[in-house]
Amino acid sequence: MKTLLWIQGLTCNGNTHSLLNAENPSFYDIFSKIKLLFHPAISSDEDLIKIIKDITQNKISLTFLVVEGSITKNKSFCRVGDFSIAEIIDQLKDKAEFIIAVGNCASFGNIPALYKENTNVVGLQYIFTEKKGLLPPNFKTKSGYPVINISGCPIHPAWFMQTILALYYEKPLILDAFNRPKEIYMYLPHDGCIRNEYFEWKEESEEFGHKEGCLFYNLGCKGPLTHAPCNKILWNRTSSKTRAGMPCLGCTEFNFPLRENYFETKKNIGIPEEVPLGVSKRAYITISGVAKSLRNERVKKKLEETD
Amino acid sequence: MVKIQKTILSRVEGEIELKLIWEKGIIKDAFIIAPNFRGFEFILEGKPILDSLIITPRVCGICGHAHLMATVNALENLYKNAGYNIEISKKANLIRLITLSAEIVQNHLRWFYLFVFPDLLKLETYTEDLSEYIPIKGKQWQKAIDFSSKIVKVIAIFGGQWPHTSYSIPGGVVCDPTTFDITESISIVDSMIKYYEENIIGMKYENYLSIEDYKEFIEKSDKDLSKFLKLCFKHNLHKIGKAYNRFLTVSNIYPIFSQGATKRKKYNFNIKKLEEIDTYSFLTKKGIDFNGKKYSWAKAVRYEGFPYETGPLARRINNKDKLFLNLLADLKDTYIPRIWARIDEIIKLLLAMKKWLQEIDIKEPSYIKPKKNIKELEGIAYGLCEAARGSLIHKLEVKEGKIKKYDIITPSTWNLGPRCEKYLSPAEKAIIGLDNSLIAEMVLRSFDVCSVCTTH
Repeated sequence: MKTLLWIQGLTCNGNTHSLLNAENPSFYDIFSKIKLLFHPAISSDEDLIKIIKDITQNKISLTFLVVEGSITKNKSFCRVGDFSIAEIIDQLKDKAEFIIAVGNCASFGNIPALYKENTNVVGLQYIFTEKKGLLPPNFKTKSGYPVINISGCPIHPAWFMQTILALYYEKPLILDAFNRPKEIYMYLPHDGCIRNEYFEWKEESEEFGHKEGCLFYNLGCKGPLTHAPCNKILWNRTSSKTRAGMPCLGCTEFNFPLRENYFETKKNIGIPEEVPLGVSKRAYITISGVAKSLRNERVKKKLEETD
Repeated sequence: MVKIQKTILSRVEGEIELKLIWEKGIIKDAFIIAPNFRGFEFILEGKPILDSLIITPRVCGICGHAHLMATVNALENLYKNAGYNIEISKKANLIRLITLSAEIVQNHLRWFYLFVFPDLLKLETYTEDLSEYIPIKGKQWQKAIDFSSKIVKVIAIFGGQWPHTSYSIPGGVVCDPTTFDITESISIVDSMIKYYEENIIGMKYENYLSIEDYKEFIEKSDKDLSKFLKLCFKHNLHKIGKAYNRFLTVSNIYPIFSQGATKRKKYNFNIKKLEEIDTYSFLTKKGIDFNGKKYSWAKAVRYEGFPYETGPLARRINNKDKLFLNLLADLKDTYIPRIWARIDEIIKLLLAMKKWLQEIDIKEPSYIKPKKNIKELEGIAYGLCEAARGSLIHKLEVKEGKIKKYDIITPSTWNLGPRCEKYLSPAEKAIIGLDNSLIAEMVLRSFDVCSVCTTH
């Protein structure tokens, strides 16, 4: 039976709790297929330190090593018993078939990496956009894959579940430039956003609290320039930030916590500093001008008042 | 002979170590050690003010929504302190209460089935069939996962997702719900109430709420809560885990939570009477210090110099709830009342949610833009919030459009922080005198341990 070990570094537990929300498969469904060796929030009788020892002595085979949370070698700031999280990963890295970083912290350091007193907070293979994490840039696990990053603050449970299941069924996994599963991160939150009609016709929201209007131009939405399928695979299988009226924060991206002023769009002479992916600034200005000059009466009205 | 025993606790949120000092088979002293520190308060320094709405929820993946609400309250308090009246519609206020309650319900269900119940499986050496509660495989364990995931769909309806939305901002909320969003939320709450009645209390909620004598409930019900309580009595758990009998609640949510500090009598809560003590904390006013007697990243927090317990039991006592006043009179502030209060709170929150959902007038504005730009404000402000585990306090200081200082006191800091010179923390006190390390762990879990919040 394939096995899974879940360990945590500097974390908020948000990825664990997001994962407990999983549907198709649910948290308990997946662990009828795969043996859960240990999870700090779930396990009852198992002793993590003994399991680690058994893995290093080849008494237990480890298929999936899952890491949640940022990594540090500094035991004063993060400790699992007498070990640092970095020491545990070091012991297990060559034993696991696959290493999976869940969430932005394990992928690239994230918010804890901004703390100045502890200078060596990193992700497993990255620190923000640089490949200077705990493990070397060319590191690969026994299966031949590098650390597979499932970015997001937090992850959507389906992103994790479908990645694990694809590997379980021995399907090939295409990874993107940041070693994320391409089939998840090839979409943008913009794809499937229910505000797309407003984006097309450049009907920009001026303030929060309305169903109508696009959040991109004024309110900081990163939907057109973030890799995540938030409007394809809905959150809690119900909605998404942009559907509810909140700007996308770009929380799956490697520079997420380096950004500032999330609720406003930075502009130069009326042009957003960052334009939608794949579009030049010139193309964006041209199409905006055309869209605004060709009026769509529908997007000017409250939805309840449209024909 | 003195024996020192260190245990890494699983089935808690994050990393916590329990260090026990044994003498002649009795726990003479107990140290609750939070070994991990991320530095959120320092990371927030120098950030644009509104970015706190994005960063603070990420302190905690379980009660991040409460952190969002504490931040919003602090930012709105900042307007007030600077002399600007900030207007919030009734609708926005109701939506905030609804989503906050959904998160608390989620937390209590997961805590009870994932963290607490497995302890009883260890105590009960299979004379009774408890297979329904076995982690991952057990039917009741699985249902707790299903329904705790279902209630947070209400947060997704109004806030887009759970965990980690920042949909509430100074002036209101960003969503503009339709009637159908509200009716779907009511349906979710209704299914939760039915689940609670059929699985947890084993009776109609009206009957449960009319009970004032705890023995009567245990006799009448044969479902999970009653089963749990019967096992507790069987294993003599009604005598363990006594803390200080002092209870703190920092904010009002009518009609279920009422602010106050109770020590025999109830007094008004006054934020000025609160202090943080760093004698045993690595984190001090002068910087980080790892010297000998310091043992945790958490600071001790005291009210009028005393440790107070916060959380659902404190809320029941401060709300003068008859069942819990009776429980306290008989069993004191021990393991059973502390656990029951968390489960009891679920139905009170669900019923309030249903009422609030029906009161929403979708024609009201969701958001009323504050007249003054927040970047022009300066000063100090507090944000108070009742989170799943109890009283959450955010204090912020802003200058020149940026956060100058941010201070977070979490419920876990109250309950599980270190000692000060005079007093142990409530959880440390509750463990001393026990003669069994599993029972010591169970007492600790009764406070609903969240180490990620304890230290942040």
